[in-house]
Amino acid sequence: MRLRVSFLGLALIIVGAGIALFVTLYLIKTPPAVTASTTSNSVEGLPVVNVTLTVVAAAGTGPHPNWVAYLNDNGDPSTYIHAPANSVIHMTLNQQDTPTGLRNEYFGLVRGTIGDSMKVNGKTMQAIDPTLAAHTFTIPDLGVSVPLLGVDANQQGNPPQNVVEFDFKVPGPGLYRWQCFVPCGAGTLYGNGGPMQTLGYMAGELVVS
Amino acid sequence: MPQRRRNLINIIAATWVLLAAAGDIALNSLPLPPGSATDIAGSETQLIRILAMMAWPIFLAVVAGLVFTLWVNRVAPAAAEPGAAALRGNSRLQTTWIASSTTIVLGLAVFGTITLANDTTVPAVAHAEPNTPLEVQVIAQQWYFTYRYPSFGGFESAHLVIPADREIEFHVTSLDVTHSFWFFAAGVKADAVPVHDNSVDMQPLKIGTYRIECSELCGIWHGSMSDDNAQIVSAGDFTTWAQQQQQLDAPIMKYLPPYSHTYVPAPGVYGS
Repeated sequence: MRLRVSFLGLALIIVGAGIALFVTLYLIKTPPAVTASTTSNSVEGLPVVNVTLTVVAAAGTGPHPNWVAYLNDNGDPSTYIHAPANSVIHMTLNQQDTPTGLRNEYFGLVRGTIGDSMKVNGKTMQAIDPTLAAHTFTIPDLGVSVPLLGVDANQQGNPPQNVVEFDFKVPGPGLYRWQCFVPCGAGTLYGNGGPMQTLGYMAGELVVS
Repeated sequence: MPQRRRNLINIIAATWVLLAAAGDIALNSLPLPPGSATDIAGSETQLIRILAMMAWPIFLAVVAGLVFTLWVNRVAPAAAEPGAAALRGNSRLQTTWIASSTTIVLGLAVFGTITLANDTTVPAVAHAEPNTPLEVQVIAQQWYFTYRYPSFGGFESAHLVIPADREIEFHVTSLDVTHSFWFFAAGVKADAVPVHDNSVDMQPLKIGTYRIECSELCGIWHGSMSDDNAQIVSAGDFTTWAQQQQQLDAPIMKYLPPYSHTYVPAPGVYGS
């Protein structure tokens, strides 16, 4: 009897420790970060840093290879951007996904960037046709929102892509969440599940320190 | 009634009067939420104040009755139980208690209903003229609120800006799941439901910067679906802001759908 109780107690401890380990690993696990690279440029007296990401229709790697994702230079899904406080981020997004269309057309407008504009393949634009949006890069708390023009079916290139560039100011230290406003989570409720709600894919954080 | 018991009743009654009066004086002067930024908020604050001032003496009376009962009817652990014969009713006390409770509850029900009815009367027409209600549409989507101003060409804004001293007619809807538009300082909380127009009107009174947030669990970023930059501004500042916003929105205006109280996704958009 005593042996059975001891065995049961030991089993409970092992199971409890396993659950605790699983929860801890889940909580501390984060997608790889993208650290802004410094430059010698400045805008309005603020240092300029570069961030480059690639937007793809399918991550091709990781736990959700079929999800839309932002990829870092290594090709890994990554939406954690680290940047210095009081700087200007020069963002380059190599957009390779096709259009899905915006549910709220207003997000077709470029807002919060320097000049309230962006460059798409070198051409300055202030808005795009909302039906041609593949994704948006939107940081609500900073008032930054940039629609990403989807790749046309007949577009040339290997892979075909739209290079979207824009600059925006980064304030003091803080954590600013960002997301895509195109309902691009195919197969989920209203297209807003899956990658739209997962850090590392279409939801991210700008860590300013 | 024994003199000792009568003295105890007098002490408890005097304490109740003193604490009830002090509490009601404090409640009457405390800055209770949600404040007085709008007419609705003001009436809600007044309602809360009245309820609190009525509830405080009642709460104290219950506590006093409890203390009195425990003190007077206490018995030693070894004492014999009094038995059923010692129990008796007090019809005068019971009648008074039931009558006063009924009067208070029914009175508050009537008062609350009248306050609610006054706060939710929506004017039928909205125009751009300063002396008529200004219609503002609140559009919720995962995970942000945007705002349309139909009487100014239907431009859209990422922040709420409204003029003081003018009736505002909110029309709240959603493009995806159910959200809730909570403008706490204004006393406004309205569900944002897809393909449904939920309207509420109010009149801003205090110029300032306020917070708006979603109060319906709506997904992973629900906790971040807020804005600390909602503004109540003067009529002149509002006109200036609206003109600036119209210029900023110019590149997207041709793509915005015609103003409507509800929207369904355009053909081709996922979920349409």
